[in-house]
Amino acid sequence: MLQATELTKAYNGVIALNKLNLTVNSGEIFCLLGANGAGKTTTINLFLNFVTPTGGRALVNGIDVSEEPLEVKRHIAYIPETVMLYPSLSGLENLKYFTTLALGHKRPEHELLELLGQAGLAKEAAFKRVSGYSKGMRQKVGIAIAMAKNAKALLLDEPTSGLDPQAANEFSKLLDRLKAEGVAILMATHDLFLAKQVGTRVGIMQRGILVSTMTTDDLGHADLERIYLDIADDCMDAGGRAMQGAIAERKEDK
Amino acid sequence: MNASATVIGTIARKELLELLRDARFWWTGGIILLLMLIALFLGWQQMQRVDGEHAAARAVTYQQWLDQGDKNPHQAAHFGQYAFKPVSPLAFVDPGIDQFVGSTVWVEAHKQNEFNFRPARDATSLQRFGELTIAFVLQILAPLVIVLLAFSAFTGERERGTLRQLLSIGVKPTQLLVGKGLAIMTAVGALLLPMALLGFIALGFADDQHASATNLYLRSTWLVVGYAIYLTGFIALALGASAASSSSRKALIVLLAFWVVNGFIAPRAMTDLARLFCPTPTKVEFQNGINEARKATFGHDETHPAFTAFRDEVLKKYNVTRIEDLPVSFRGLSLRKDDENGYRIYDEHYGALWATYARQERIRAIAGFAFPLAALRPFSMGLAGTDTFHQNRFATAAELYRRQIQTAMSEDLIQHHKNGDNKYVSNRQLWEKIPTLEHKIPEAKTAIAEQGLNLGILLVWMLATITFAVTATRRLRPL
Repeated sequence: MLQATELTKAYNGVIALNKLNLTVNSGEIFCLLGANGAGKTTTINLFLNFVTPTGGRALVNGIDVSEEPLEVKRHIAYIPETVMLYPSLSGLENLKYFTTLALGHKRPEHELLELLGQAGLAKEAAFKRVSGYSKGMRQKVGIAIAMAKNAKALLLDEPTSGLDPQAANEFSKLLDRLKAEGVAILMATHDLFLAKQVGTRVGIMQRGILVSTMTTDDLGHADLERIYLDIADDCMDAGGRAMQGAIAERKEDK
Repeated sequence: MNASATVIGTIARKELLELLRDARFWWTGGIILLLMLIALFLGWQQMQRVDGEHAAARAVTYQQWLDQGDKNPHQAAHFGQYAFKPVSPLAFVDPGIDQFVGSTVWVEAHKQNEFNFRPARDATSLQRFGELTIAFVLQILAPLVIVLLAFSAFTGERERGTLRQLLSIGVKPTQLLVGKGLAIMTAVGALLLPMALLGFIALGFADDQHASATNLYLRSTWLVVGYAIYLTGFIALALGASAASSSSRKALIVLLAFWVVNGFIAPRAMTDLARLFCPTPTKVEFQNGINEARKATFGHDETHPAFTAFRDEVLKKYNVTRIEDLPVSFRGLSLRKDDENGYRIYDEHYGALWATYARQERIRAIAGFAFPLAALRPFSMGLAGTDTFHQNRFATAAELYRRQIQTAMSEDLIQHHKNGDNKYVSNRQLWEKIPTLEHKIPEAKTAIAEQGLNLGILLVWMLATITFAVTATRRLRPL
């Protein structure tokens, strides 16, 4: 469903993603692990066509993201690290808005309320303005938006960052359910334990390169500890590089 | 409804909902509505007052003309009358140049006078800060409201992170542009349309002595069209600037700078530039020019070579040697001849002056391609009937009226005055042959034809801003 072939992105000569080859099949959760600046978010951005690849291709359901970006977006849903919504609208109004835009038609209100409920948002909260929401509540609306779309592929960028343990647990259950429904999920995360808990496979990224891939069944406690330490080291090493990459990225955006 | 229309409609509804929940919109809208109401009330009151004063003065001056008593017709021509420019019923929308150029002219023998009674001359220095009129609100304040409503339309989405969300679900940037544009148009329309409606209703009560109702409603419709083009262009410009800017702050600064240049700097700069390229003579220079030309004519000077030449020509024509032997009044003939000489001189000088004004206006209008107020202002005044063109039309009508009086007086002398009779007088019967000056405001199609260039410039500007907005929005990136 999601496929990257030699996918490369450089910002002003600084390689952010280097010849990534990756496939995420339907009913699979692929967790991308790595330090800041390792290339996880760049991978997600390339699948969303938010940035254009320097080389290689990103395919969704066999369609090239760069060639038919709008067609691709019919098949994917996206939940960022922090779901941003319109503060003067209620959670339900936000969901209604994004869902109508995504589908091109309206869904009945009771269905939307049900989706919010499935995402873990209390019914009374759905009618309150988002300006009073916690990050976790906004995240739940974001999840409901993604579910409302019935997308075949889901792109998640640090989706549990900032969620309380109960909300994170509910989120994990939700991912399990979507996996069971055949959704292909690509999740960038720092959370090793979430990856171990819900992932089908994990990929370790370092300095824009996917250095190893393994199934979560093969992932033992020792591996988790090693990966954690590797990532921590990489974070220290890559601090300056990540900063350099970020600056280059910003310059390019401008 | 197809999917794209649903998406655009959804965006527009959501934008409106956000606006309606924003207290700033209610405050701004309330202030604008209040100012419009005050402007409408003051404009209407002023227009009615001036029109009433003119009607009363017109009746008095005509009565004085009729009651001047028995006298020599040429003395009656010198007695003269005041001619009052009719107040356009649409002057309550845009009073234009009326208060600066005057609305009353003294019509008398031998001289084409300039207009008098300029309200601006009698006003306090505060008048220099401008007047609260509907035109001012629409030309200056409405664009400011649009800037405040639209400057963060796209930058706000980017800064809030919702743009990322929107683009990830496949919303086309152009759909966002159209949806947001429709929402702002609806909001601005909701503020302005009730005023337009009130204006249309008010016109129903306007005196139709100077213009037919059809003429006024057609002019009003075109005014609405002109202002709609101007404000639509501003909406597109503000949305385009928001899409092209990296932050809301930058978008606001750029748009405010444009608003200041458009509203305050460009009109003055273009006026100075127009004066530089097409200078007009000062009042003294203009009068000196006419006086110099008039030296070639004889007036009442019977020793003037032109007078003796004309006398000889008349005597020869009638084959007599003495004026007393002429079958017609030589006094009448010489006055008519002098008048005709004067007409030619005035036509030449005033024609050149009005032509210079027209050239200056064309130069000013060119700035409208970049700063649309330069094109909208004359368009608005033109349709309201308060611009230079309408002033010129009335000045021409007043001059023709003066000539009608002159001709009638001279013809009476020619027909009835006996040469050598210094006591010839005419009476009320002759004065009554001169009707009051009934000047009609030109038809709407004439005003539209006159404003074709400005309307074209406004259209070009609006299309350019829409193109800019579409281009900037297509380049929109969420990061």
